Amino acid sequence: MSDGDFLGVTDVSKWYGDDQVLHDVSFEMDRGDVTVLIGPSGSGKSTMLRCVNRLAEAQEGSIRLDGEEVLSPDIDVDDLRREVGMVFQGFNLFAHLTARGNVALGPRRVLGLSESESRERAAAQLDRVGLADQMDSYPAELSGGQQQRVGIARALAMEPKLMLFDEPTSALDPELIGEVLEVMHGLVDEGMTMLVVTHEMSFAREVADEIVFLDEGHVVERGPPEQLFERPEKERTGRFLERIESHD
Amino acid sequence: MASATRPATVRERVADADRSVGRLLLVAAGALFWGWLVVSWVNRWLGGVLVPVGQPLVPAGAVEATLAALPGLAAYASDAAFVVELSPDLARGTWLTVVITAVSLVLGFFIAVPLAVARVYGRFSSWLSLGYTELLRGTPLLAQLFVLYYGLNLASYVPGALSGVFPRNVVWVAILGFTLNGAAYQAEYIRGALESVEEGQITAGRAIGLSKLETIYYVVLPQGLRYAIPSWTNEFVYLIKYSSLAAFITVPELYYRADQIASETFRYTLIFVVTGVTYLALVLTASKLMARVEGAVAIPGLGVEREE
Repeated sequence: MSDGDFLGVTDVSKWYGDDQVLHDVSFEMDRGDVTVLIGPSGSGKSTMLRCVNRLAEAQEGSIRLDGEEVLSPDIDVDDLRREVGMVFQGFNLFAHLTARGNVALGPRRVLGLSESESRERAAAQLDRVGLADQMDSYPAELSGGQQQRVGIARALAMEPKLMLFDEPTSALDPELIGEVLEVMHGLVDEGMTMLVVTHEMSFAREVADEIVFLDEGHVVERGPPEQLFERPEKERTGRFLERIESHD
Repeated sequence: MASATRPATVRERVADADRSVGRLLLVAAGALFWGWLVVSWVNRWLGGVLVPVGQPLVPAGAVEATLAALPGLAAYASDAAFVVELSPDLARGTWLTVVITAVSLVLGFFIAVPLAVARVYGRFSSWLSLGYTELLRGTPLLAQLFVLYYGLNLASYVPGALSGVFPRNVVWVAILGFTLNGAAYQAEYIRGALESVEEGQITAGRAIGLSKLETIYYVVLPQGLRYAIPSWTNEFVYLIKYSSLAAFITVPELYYRADQIASETFRYTLIFVVTGVTYLALVLTASKLMARVEGAVAIPGLGVEREE
């Protein structure tokens, strides 16, 4: 188990109005770890993920990232976000920019690279996700799988120290899921630190260092995949996995 | 697009031919209209190099004689000669109409964009923007012009640097009025378009570390302003016609000149038909122009391919 040197999420709680969506959620990650959040829809996985880069605000608890308190009011959220890449379920590519323009925007406007440097970096990142030949295509001209790979390249171009994946394959046709997972596998092999929300159990089983099972905002159970998948301690976990796997 | 996969039917080819004939006529009419305007203007600016200032480009007498000699058109010869006679005044008035519309539209745009952004993304500024928009849209434009011209007597405050540009300072008052009023309407159109930009676009911008304003500038506006073009064209078209209200504060634009000639000659019908056609030609030019702009900046793969 990780000792939480890199990311320490401790007793995080969040409410939307009177509705508590996260209840004292805790888990830890080391640099290079891959942690997968699983759970039924509405269990708070995506919300938890968004609390890490402050796209959602947790009201209680602590999230320490690389020695800094993410939830501190003094932190510059834009600084935080340039170090934490995020990949969205709906891709969210900038519709008016080419693949290359999408990837180059952050380096150019956030990191302050020159026009040619940012374009070069964009080209390199698109090559990394296998889209060197689609650099000048607009999002609407790309398949879902290609769009999501651009989305990954866009996040990588910021050279983040942590990557958040929010159900990156859920909006994809089944035949397009593989190309995205392949890119994610590649990142795991390169040692990227990744926090992933997904329903792809085989991916979770293969690459996760730890699985965190959330239900109704509670961490029901967490542990290495072999333990969680083969010998879940909680009945609730077992039932969820049965339902998911029979679906697979 | 679909026709590439199968040969065109006879009906389609006839329809295509009809369209190209119609198009050709429209282009010819446009070329004639703008040719007449531009040559008239240039002639005036250069002090009458082609014909003396104030004279029609072609002699009215020659037009009348030519038409009178043609069997079917003889009845219209004197009317045509009359129109040719007043054409220099119309061209002169149209110049001011075009300038007032274009300048007010562009200046108004630069006010409208911040207004729309404030309305959609602001907190306190959203209320300010709403107040401005409702006030300017909710009161008569003519009343606004009267307040600026008669009430505040702004024409006497026009800075020296600007006062030489037009023969009368009141043109600047009209431009100010149309700018302030048009900005409110433009802001409404742009607001609607900004609201149609997906929330996920903003989330993605924020997620790579852009600030809220940067996200609006680099992500939302480039998309929203494109989406705004079709409805924004409405404001363009309205403004061309609303600009005639400037006549009521003595700006000698197209309507003012037409009205003046009509009250001297009492040929109201003929004069206002010709004036109406002139406005129509300006409006058609504007909407064609904006359709071109829309096509030129369209995002590849998005939206419908326009039929020109």
